[in-house]
Amino acid sequence: MTVTATTTATPRQSTTTRARSSGRPDRFVYGLLRSIPTWLLWILVMLWTVPTGSLLLNSFRTRDAQRSSGWWVSFTEGGWTLDNYGDVLSSSRQTGGLAQALLNSFAIAIPATVIPIAIAAMAAYAFAWIPFRGREVLFVATVSLLALPNQVALLPLLQLFAGGAHWTVPGSGTVVTLFPDLDLAGTPTAVWLTHTAFAMPFAIFLLHNYISSLPKELFEAARIDGADHFTIFWRLVLPLSVPALAAFTIFQFLWTWNDYLIAITMIGANGANYPATIKIASMAGEFGLREHVLSAGAFVQAGIPMLVFFALQRYFVRGLLAGSVKS
Amino acid sequence: MEALTGALRGIVAAIGLSALLFVGANRLFDLIVERWRLFLGLLGALTGAVFFAVLVGNRLLDGSGRIWVGAGALLFAVMATAPDLVRDRRLRPVAGGVVGAGIGLLLAKAVDASVRPSVSMAGIALAVGIALAVYLPIAFKQGRVRPGGVLASAAFGWVAGTWLFGEVGGGSATSMVVSVTVPMVLVGSALGAGGLRQRAQRFDLQRQTRVGAFLGPALFFVVLGLIVPLARTIYLSLYDSKGREWVGFRNYGEILTNDRSVDLADWANIFTSRLFIGGMGLLAIGAAVGLWSGRRRGRVIEPATGSVVPVLVGATLLVFAVFSSLRGTVINNLWWVVVVTMVSTGLGLAAAVLADRARFESVAKSLIFLPMAISFVGAGIIWRFMYIARPPQKPQTGVLNAVWVGLGKLAPGTAGQAVSLVFLALVTAGLAGLCLFGVRRRQTGIALGSALSAFPVLYLAYRLLGPGLGGVEEGPLGLPIGKPILFVQEGPFNNLWLMLVLIWIQTGFAMVILSAAIKAVPGDLIDAARVDGANDRQVFFRVTMPTIVPTIAVIVTTLIVLVMKVFDIVRVMTNGNFGTQVIANEMWQRTFTEFNLGLGSALAAVLFLGVVPAMAVNVRRMQRVKV
Repeated sequence: MTVTATTTATPRQSTTTRARSSGRPDRFVYGLLRSIPTWLLWILVMLWTVPTGSLLLNSFRTRDAQRSSGWWVSFTEGGWTLDNYGDVLSSSRQTGGLAQALLNSFAIAIPATVIPIAIAAMAAYAFAWIPFRGREVLFVATVSLLALPNQVALLPLLQLFAGGAHWTVPGSGTVVTLFPDLDLAGTPTAVWLTHTAFAMPFAIFLLHNYISSLPKELFEAARIDGADHFTIFWRLVLPLSVPALAAFTIFQFLWTWNDYLIAITMIGANGANYPATIKIASMAGEFGLREHVLSAGAFVQAGIPMLVFFALQRYFVRGLLAGSVKS
Repeated sequence: MEALTGALRGIVAAIGLSALLFVGANRLFDLIVERWRLFLGLLGALTGAVFFAVLVGNRLLDGSGRIWVGAGALLFAVMATAPDLVRDRRLRPVAGGVVGAGIGLLLAKAVDASVRPSVSMAGIALAVGIALAVYLPIAFKQGRVRPGGVLASAAFGWVAGTWLFGEVGGGSATSMVVSVTVPMVLVGSALGAGGLRQRAQRFDLQRQTRVGAFLGPALFFVVLGLIVPLARTIYLSLYDSKGREWVGFRNYGEILTNDRSVDLADWANIFTSRLFIGGMGLLAIGAAVGLWSGRRRGRVIEPATGSVVPVLVGATLLVFAVFSSLRGTVINNLWWVVVVTMVSTGLGLAAAVLADRARFESVAKSLIFLPMAISFVGAGIIWRFMYIARPPQKPQTGVLNAVWVGLGKLAPGTAGQAVSLVFLALVTAGLAGLCLFGVRRRQTGIALGSALSAFPVLYLAYRLLGPGLGGVEEGPLGLPIGKPILFVQEGPFNNLWLMLVLIWIQTGFAMVILSAAIKAVPGDLIDAARVDGANDRQVFFRVTMPTIVPTIAVIVTTLIVLVMKVFDIVRVMTNGNFGTQVIANEMWQRTFTEFNLGLGSALAAVLFLGVVPAMAVNVRRMQRVKV
């Protein structure tokens, strides 16, 4: 029997004295009651695991088995196969194409992780350690954009990437180009540029929390030794901030790898550049034809973030905490 | 493979270029204090190159672009450094002006005839006046009016005046000299009049530029990627579907009055629904228990499991009653926000408390937390497999319907019924024994708890004997056949099944943060409470809870912001069909499939308005932390 430490070690004093005569059954009943939290916890864990487990098991079942019965049937009747994974990763037009989509996902997620973190670390350092006028206001204004829904910026950004920004001078009809047409619509570049912009507030917030908590004496000593801000940032702040940088890297990688909205908006109909999320979503859209490889595809897409998650969970949790409950 | 190498090359180029820009800018600013003249020259060259590149890019100069950019860099470098070479201070503005005049004449000659503006002296005077009227008060406020500043703002006003008030394309070669050369002379003399001779001034400048180098890239992305688009979305939301004609607030009116977004027709059903009655009943029970146990302890109301749980469940049922009667996109969105936020936080708190110091705590928490790593799209697909409903004659392949129909197989007259009745009888007996135990030991909590848990068990027994448990209906031969639930298609509660996906993801988030908060509650505080005779429940509700309330507030605001813009799950699972539409998906469809820019932008703006309160709360919190 499991006994948790959640509840107090001893039942109430009065009860023990009153029930002196029947100590054994008492202990049994109280033990039973005390184990309830543990049972509830593991029931919750089971409920939370069943969906992912179902997907995993289904991904190893043949097309016929998937179509005719639930995964639990295969334990008795068989029908296991690895073909789904081969099919979905192949270049077959019918069922495959995920391998290319995974590459596209990397092409988006890597720059969308590296570039924001570099830019945000610099900004966080400036906000934390370079005094200038209006610093507080600018910082709060930037970080308050954390809550901005991506939707408000999608259409204008797409227009910017697809045609630049132009201004018609009133009265004369002359068009002045404010931002050149870079013809980025449909490319991974448009996606990671957008990610970079959207990542800024959170990245600055998270890294600022960490960098501003570094000891002041460190910076004073460095200044006395004649180091300028650039040297301090490069030699001192970056190496010391590795935990925060790692936390944000994991976050941003998971976020950009799992993103669907920004990718579908910026890439649009350009199927060759679809990342894995769009690929599996479109597989799900045409139920029937590619139904049997869908579970394998979804599991491959989810496998990479799950690996990252399990390998680096400690950093992930630390970042989450720093981002939410910093006081 | 080709795509991969291309992408890789792009990535390396982008990262390399950014690094180069940053390091280059910093190295440039390193020159300010010691090598002022070199700094001026390089800065001038850069400015000139960019300025001429813009002109070439807009096809305003004839001839090779590269030559023009090179020439521009050289000319501006000369203009920036020339005054500094002159010894006599009074002559410096003159030197700058002369070089400026030279460049201005060259420009006037080279710029394409099609953009020559006709000169309107009145317009220029007005613009210069405005520019000075803006500059001078600011300069006075700062306590220093610089001749360079006056000249530069006059130049700015001059340029604005010629192009805003003149007729572009209607000018002559002479008018071009007036509109281009004069401001160049002004800029040149401004550079001459300025100039930081003192080291202290240069140090100041260096610090400012350093801030610029560190903040510049981030602010560039924030302004160009967030603020300007936000402004443009609000602007577009006031225009028609093509973004051409001003329609005022008509798009917003459309959202609020359309039946598909807000349908209040069935409001009266709220009060007659079973959910409402059940919810009110539970609220009453919770209040009664709280008041009763509060009186025993000399307080008005006592928070305890017996009072808090019924109140929470009752409130949830009331929410369901309201949102299942009122329908529409906006209502759905609110339903999402309320339910997902409440349930995720509640379950997360429960999981955190249950897991606290349990055996294998980290394993349990990892497994609950795992869905956080899965994309919304992936989660939608995972739950699609859970929700599959197949025709009654066929075996169910989705877990939930298999269970539901399996329970239906326990219908009256089957062997399953007998077995499960015996099982339920045993459970009831156990609960009765426990209740008796509680009464004998004067443990009201145990007695009441087991008595109350007997109710659902008895209800299950009643279902089993009477109308049947689970999905079942009478088949053509009088035999029971399974009746699956159409989780995704059957409204209005299909919304709840979609919300479950997000709850599944976000509970782990709430749990991890609350778990850390619970562990951070000072041990002394808990020990002190225990010494004073507090039991577990009192420690939780009177010590732990008050300490973690700020954390709960953080989670709630984060979740509200996140749920408000829910998109992927709905899009993958129903694409807004079957009465499950939400604002974000509606916005996407209106904007990117129907190209109704006005309505789509208005919907995005509505989302923005929805998170403004959360933003305000965040800002307040940050300011408090600062102080």
